[in-house]
Amino acid sequence: MKVSDDMEALLVTYSLGSCIGVAIYDAVARVGGLLHYMLPESSLDPEKAKKKPYMFADTGIPALFKAAYKLGAKKQRLKVIVVGGSQILDQKGFFNIGKRNETAVRKMFHRNNVIVDYADVGGVVNRTIKLAVDNGDIWLKVSGKGEKKL
Amino acid sequence: MNDIASIIKKIDILKPVPQMVHKVMAIAENPESSMSELSKIIVYDAAVTSNLLKAANSAYFGLPDQVNSVHQAIVYMGMEQVADLVLMSAGSENLKEAQEGYDLDTGDLWKYSVSSALIARELAEKIGAKDIHLIFTAALLKDIGKVILSQYVKDSFEKIDTLVTDKGFTFREAEKEVIGIDHAELGGLMAQKWNFSNKMVEIIKNHHLPQKSSMSEIETSIVYMADMICMMMGIGVGSDGLAYRFHQEVVKRLGLTERDFQEVIAQFAEKIEQVESMVRIQGPGS
Repeated sequence: MKVSDDMEALLVTYSLGSCIGVAIYDAVARVGGLLHYMLPESSLDPEKAKKKPYMFADTGIPALFKAAYKLGAKKQRLKVIVVGGSQILDQKGFFNIGKRNETAVRKMFHRNNVIVDYADVGGVVNRTIKLAVDNGDIWLKVSGKGEKKL
Repeated sequence: MNDIASIIKKIDILKPVPQMVHKVMAIAENPESSMSELSKIIVYDAAVTSNLLKAANSAYFGLPDQVNSVHQAIVYMGMEQVADLVLMSAGSENLKEAQEGYDLDTGDLWKYSVSSALIARELAEKIGAKDIHLIFTAALLKDIGKVILSQYVKDSFEKIDTLVTDKGFTFREAEKEVIGIDHAELGGLMAQKWNFSNKMVEIIKNHHLPQKSSMSEIETSIVYMADMICMMMGIGVGSDGLAYRFHQEVVKRLGLTERDFQEVIAQFAEKIEQVESMVRIQGPGS
């Protein structure tokens, strides 16, 4: 997880696989944040979640927002982008970590009235996301298919 | 369709995996082996020794003291771990370069190979499998075929991608359909040419479990599972994405639960930075 108000900063999270990347940006405060979580629920290992809260959706997402608020970001101004959560073919039920990662963020945002401005989630492709803190530009790269500005 | 013979011929251009890998594997699998037997083979190769010491002193192991000799490394870490590190160092010569066809940058394929090997070892221990060094080395080398096939994938990417996106092919199936050979099959041929055991050749060739029969092979299933876990974590995933098949029955047959699965991910994720630093130390240009 990275949160920054440094105008020079380019936040990047590479190669998400089934993990989810959440990018947030406040254009007024010029504060950006990027989270890369791997698993849906911290109940798997609460000890680990204390040490590495960003590994899990339910501990990582609140930590991302709180860190951005600390730098002056306001919830109502935040642009929110969600990418990743790809699935291996025929991956079903509990074993479908990509789908469960996606459900975790959707539930949490629904409960907290967070509107997602752009989402590119699921499928079998691999994604990388970059966020420029000075102007909030976001680039999404899909492996093998190039990079586009959102 | 390409001329398969000309693709296979490209194996000769690569530097083969050094003979010492076979010796180290034999020593590591033999409970009667002594420390000095292992040490003697390693010290003979300066590059491998230097890589071993760099890795031993990396944050991944977090040893209390600086390790300055092969003997010391074996005393501190045990033969098992030293053998793994030597296999990694000696076996990965060809895996460090960028693979454009798969959209993997310099070092990506190697990080993937090392991660697969470490995860496969963890799974093997969890399950109580034998031949851990065979499993470790097979997981390390399973994608060696990509090194040759990358160019062909690049040339035919659109056709391959259409089969994956529109026709439900896995990436491996699409490689086979468009190029005439897939990276796993080619990797198996490479292992054969480099005098690896039949078992090793079979694991590499079948690591995506193309036939039902390979699902009953425990070593192949473990390497397959380690690969699935890497993909989910986004390690070494490139233009092929996650377009491979997940066989839930294999997870069950290995006696793994969904929780085990997530635990392995969480444990590895915790170490990933140290793995990255170790991979960098031994990585491209070293």
